Amino acid sequence: MLHRLLFCLTILSLPAIAWAQSPLDELTEADLAAGEKIFKVHCGRCHGTAGQGGEGSNLVRSKLKYATDDQALIDLLGEGIPGTGMPAIWTLDEQKRTQVAGYVRTLGQLEAQEMPGNPSRGKDIYQRSAGCPACHIIAGHGIGIGPELTYIGDQRGLAYLRQSLTDPAATQSQTSGYQDYLTVRVKSLQTEVEGLRVNEDAFTVQVRDVSGTIHSFRKDELTQYEKVFAHSLMPEYGTALSDEDMDDLISYMMSLRSEQ
Amino acid sequence: MKRIIFLLLAGLATTGYAEVGFKRLVNAAEEPQNWLTYSGSYRSERYSPLSQINRDNVADLKVIWAYQMQPPTIGGAGLVETTPLVVDGTMYITEPPSTVTALDARSGKSLWSWSPEMDEETLHIGFPQVNRGVAVLDDAVYVGTLDAHLVALDAATGAIRWDIAVADNKSGFSLTLAPLALEGKIIIGVSGAEAGVRGFIDAYDSATGERLWRMYTIPAPGEPGSETWQGDSWQTGGGSTWLTGSYDPELDLLYWTIGNPAPDWNGDVRPGDNLYSCSIVALDPATGEMKWYFQFTPHDTHDWDANQIPILFDAEFNGKDRKIVALANRNAFFYLLDRETGEFLHGNQYSKQTWAAGLDEAGRPIVLPGTDPTYDGNLVWPSLQGATNWFSPSYNPETGQFFVATRLMGAVYYKADVEYEEGQPFLGGGEQALSGDDAAGAIRALDVMTGRQQWEFMLHSPPWAGVMATAGGLVIGGSNEGNVFALDAETGNPLWDFQTGGAVRTNPMSFAVDGKQRIVSTGGGTMFVFGLE
Repeated sequence: MLHRLLFCLTILSLPAIAWAQSPLDELTEADLAAGEKIFKVHCGRCHGTAGQGGEGSNLVRSKLKYATDDQALIDLLGEGIPGTGMPAIWTLDEQKRTQVAGYVRTLGQLEAQEMPGNPSRGKDIYQRSAGCPACHIIAGHGIGIGPELTYIGDQRGLAYLRQSLTDPAATQSQTSGYQDYLTVRVKSLQTEVEGLRVNEDAFTVQVRDVSGTIHSFRKDELTQYEKVFAHSLMPEYGTALSDEDMDDLISYMMSLRSEQ
Repeated sequence: MKRIIFLLLAGLATTGYAEVGFKRLVNAAEEPQNWLTYSGSYRSERYSPLSQINRDNVADLKVIWAYQMQPPTIGGAGLVETTPLVVDGTMYITEPPSTVTALDARSGKSLWSWSPEMDEETLHIGFPQVNRGVAVLDDAVYVGTLDAHLVALDAATGAIRWDIAVADNKSGFSLTLAPLALEGKIIIGVSGAEAGVRGFIDAYDSATGERLWRMYTIPAPGEPGSETWQGDSWQTGGGSTWLTGSYDPELDLLYWTIGNPAPDWNGDVRPGDNLYSCSIVALDPATGEMKWYFQFTPHDTHDWDANQIPILFDAEFNGKDRKIVALANRNAFFYLLDRETGEFLHGNQYSKQTWAAGLDEAGRPIVLPGTDPTYDGNLVWPSLQGATNWFSPSYNPETGQFFVATRLMGAVYYKADVEYEEGQPFLGGGEQALSGDDAAGAIRALDVMTGRQQWEFMLHSPPWAGVMATAGGLVIGGSNEGNVFALDAETGNPLWDFQTGGAVRTNPMSFAVDGKQRIVSTGGGTMFVFGLE
């Protein structure tokens, strides 16, 4: 009996201990308001002024891929995320970063957006009529030319997903700023390739074409190298799908989340 | 008996280490196989008179040896920004955060290594944990540490000669620069303006570590220049001195550059020109007395430190022989000053900027309205990292070309309210720099007398690596994407490149061992030594 009681107590107290360790614990309403203000200035340009996502990820969700706990979120703000567009915001001190982290976590407590359609019908549209697996991977299935969509429901909100289907170019960075999926057109004496830039330096460029094949060039061999900003290789689905099919497809993508 | 031991020790020392007296530093150009000071000479030309590697054979350059930096003793990975010194076959480098290592320049094998004991909580506010190199003088090696100590090490063994605290790291002071060795003294400057320190330049007795003088860069009330500050703002006024200066042995003048006023982006709390922030000063090295100053960016609100390398050269300017100091500033303007008097001779824009209509006859910027940071953000070129930064330019005295790695990047600048608290960031705002393909970099060649651009070689992103010109007609540089490369100094055409696999954040240098020229650069945490054979 004593053993069982102790066991119960331990279980009950665990969340309390974990909660007590969060550096966000001590934040006041004023801190969260300050965090929101800083967020709008430093983060809103990419993540949307309400964290709904845009060029940067949707933050209106309870789990963030790169911030497994609250301290990791605070650290990430100061260090950035290498290999992504997320810069280190080193000009914010620990207190301000904690305020921002606190505000970002409140976004995760907001009510999830309502799906506009039927996700299971949407899955069928994704796999068959729309032919999405030809360029995207979900849970290991498909071809990886465009972004992987396994957890796209975590990463992007409703409005962004709709726009990415009806006007894919609009979801590309409208400036020439950071982007993962820049279309480039490359010509050498031997070949001509349109595809996505995989990597680049002052002397070389690596391109993935729509079949998934990687091409590597030295720039001094090229006769043309064009960066096509605000353009996407993805077809527009606005007229190809009915309104109902579009809503179902979007709903399926919203359902692709890491938390079930 | 004592004398015999001394003679024996002296005899031993000469087999492993030849002393680097002050005269050798003055006449560094006479021994191009060595690299005796941070910028290669007191004139800071970062020019190698070696020509064995040249535009005809540089395509055959290959890695001779590489050295992987040791894991840092504290903190994260750190960044490698060291310029190696080479003395008669021995190379001295620093590794992040403040380790000194001696290597056999022939093979890359380590001879000794020394690391300070530093607190895990050592502050470095506003910069990564870096060190840019050592100074050598006589038979000692000098290093500044992240926790603001200056340390003298025995050049042959790495044993400590002396170790003094320059300032209190708890207030935000650090030493990241390579010290400058003059006759019998070591000159250093400090980092810390982002923590609201009051900057200074110090001279120490090279034999004992005794402080000889201190020159504060922010004047106290009553001192000349104090009229450019109001209230107590001078006490937290910044003006750090975190990059190695230059020296003219004939004029016996020391040239040192000074960083931003604090807080960085909110100038409301410090009305006035804020002397001697964002300036260059000429000092008497015997006393630290200021002979002249020139302020590049009065009342800076963009963090445009003047901590760039001042390059000294002599030339006829408007029909008169002049001793000149040239500097490509973080604020995107290139300057020529008379280094005897500080008189402004010439200035022009060398990189994209949107904050000034130009310079007036005295060299003062004509600031455009509406270019200060605001609470909602204000897009201005260059970004706070500047049109260039600490990484070195280079000057070829044979051709009169000035080479600079420039950052083509704008930023949205924000202003914020801030109160000073010791050992905390004192910034008053921040920036959101333009990213990806919105920003780029370039190596540019300027005619040193006019500042006019002769050519440029574009880089994929704004660089953090300096350049070196050589008598072989080359300009060596590096990129964030890991390229080390050689350009034709005449045309800017690339002649050779090598992918190191890590971002290049150092200034190249060159030396020779066994009569073979070597070129040194880094990629990530690895140093590469290149040669033809």
